[in-house]
Amino acid sequence: MAATQPLRLTETIALDPALAKAQKQSSDPGAAVVCMPAMSGQGTMRTITLQDYKRRLLRVLVHIQQHLDDPLGLQELAGRACFSPYHFHRIFKGMVGESVKEHIRRLRLERAAGQLKLGTARITDIAFDAGYESHEAFCRSFRAVFGVSPSQFRSSTRNRITPTARSGLHYREGQPVNDFKATQPGGKNMKVKIEYREPARVAFMRHVGPYDEVGATWDKLLPRLGKDGRLDGDALILGICHDDPEVTPPDKIRYDACVTVDESFVPEGEIGVQVIPGGEYAVTTHFGPYQKLGDTYTRLLGQWLPRSGRELRSTPCFEVYLNDPQSTEPEDLLTDIYAPLQTKPNTLI
Amino acid sequence: MKPQPKLDLYKLHKAEYAATRKPALVEIKPASYLAISGQGAPGGDRFTASIGALYGMAFTIKMTRKFAGQQDYAVCKLEGQWWSEPASNFDRLPKDQWLWNLLIRTPEFIKDDDLRQAVAVLLKRGKGEEVKRVRLESLAEGLCVQMLHVGPYEKECETIAVMKAFAEQQQLLFSGKHHEIYLSDPRRVPPERLKTILREPVRPS
Repeated sequence: MAATQPLRLTETIALDPALAKAQKQSSDPGAAVVCMPAMSGQGTMRTITLQDYKRRLLRVLVHIQQHLDDPLGLQELAGRACFSPYHFHRIFKGMVGESVKEHIRRLRLERAAGQLKLGTARITDIAFDAGYESHEAFCRSFRAVFGVSPSQFRSSTRNRITPTARSGLHYREGQPVNDFKATQPGGKNMKVKIEYREPARVAFMRHVGPYDEVGATWDKLLPRLGKDGRLDGDALILGICHDDPEVTPPDKIRYDACVTVDESFVPEGEIGVQVIPGGEYAVTTHFGPYQKLGDTYTRLLGQWLPRSGRELRSTPCFEVYLNDPQSTEPEDLLTDIYAPLQTKPNTLI
Repeated sequence: MKPQPKLDLYKLHKAEYAATRKPALVEIKPASYLAISGQGAPGGDRFTASIGALYGMAFTIKMTRKFAGQQDYAVCKLEGQWWSEPASNFDRLPKDQWLWNLLIRTPEFIKDDDLRQAVAVLLKRGKGEEVKRVRLESLAEGLCVQMLHVGPYEKECETIAVMKAFAEQQQLLFSGKHHEIYLSDPRRVPPERLKTILREPVRPS
């Protein structure tokens, strides 16, 4: 299901009233965007396509290019594309090939390159415009993208090469973005199955802080449950990540360490109880170290999902740890990732 | 997700678990295990319930100690001994007549008292009677031929044939229970990539 059909902004506006409204109101940064379900002209539900995902993401990309100097918050960007804030960043990264932060940084640098090429503004002013507080930091970032320092870029016409982004998205003064190339699923095919799950009651402890420090929370939770015989060979060990480590500062990341329990467990001290909603989930297995889980999330949400005809529910993903990291080499670790799906549209009719 | 363990028996006894795809002679020192034995096909009800009981006991014992601030250790991987009676016809027997002893290697400081306490806790939680069948067992296998088998369990006979030929070259005979150590998780790892250490105790012929 490759995106072969070009998508032009004018067509998109005609097709999509929500986008038209977003465009009209785009001068007002606080404008609410009306979210429309995937509907056909007759008002019946139809399967959501890669084009739908692209169209929704384009609203965000247009907005970013027009508001490159504004603080662009997660809620607002996700809302413009009608994606749940839980999943927006991973869908964006998977489809565009870079995170929102990386995308904004790159566009600002490309704009700065244009200013270096054409204008006479001082480099420190251009650096400040690009969102950098120091000349050094700007030079470092600039060199990483363009291969030369800003002053070399300005003085030599030969070295003015702008690397091409795989998405085809670049900063063009006065030319609104009207299409992009969604990242193709690369490498081996991702094995994803759709699974219906009953709601799961879990005992959990919340960790707030860097992701690589969640071990301390597990070290408190597991002995307390284990001594009471609650790690009985049937209990599932799972984690709920409420935040994406790419966008949330490390000290604010929320992660719930969870173990499935029956009704006999009552909350005690730091250990609470929550119910993981039942319903349909897309499930894939991540093979290897936990540090690389993010890559598999990005492939599942940003590459598999837009081509699956499905949409996500606004509840967090969770991961089930299938083996014990204390006795398993990192490359042999197995983790199932569960992404919550909305009920398939055509089953509603 | 969890920090490095304080005690990992497989790392401590590295030489005993360093099997490759070539057969080798290894001296296996006496070792302590949590064990549960039975009869039946792998994957059958009895077998599955026994694995659940073994893991339930292993983690209850470990976490009880950890909660009490005693020395922490990693729960080792599942191992199994397989045999038949009489010993000579294992390959021809229907699987439901296979005999097995499932094992999890356990530090020497785990004693019967630890098991009794864990059984009481698990029975109170409503776990099945299987947990009562889990016992402490010491194995002293001594000299063994070991080899890494990569592939489905059904094809182990090919690896065992290589091991047997190797033993015969050294004037050795298989003299104990076939023992295997499951390095991979068959729930997700495809059969052709499953790694299993095969171990055959030997004596001079």
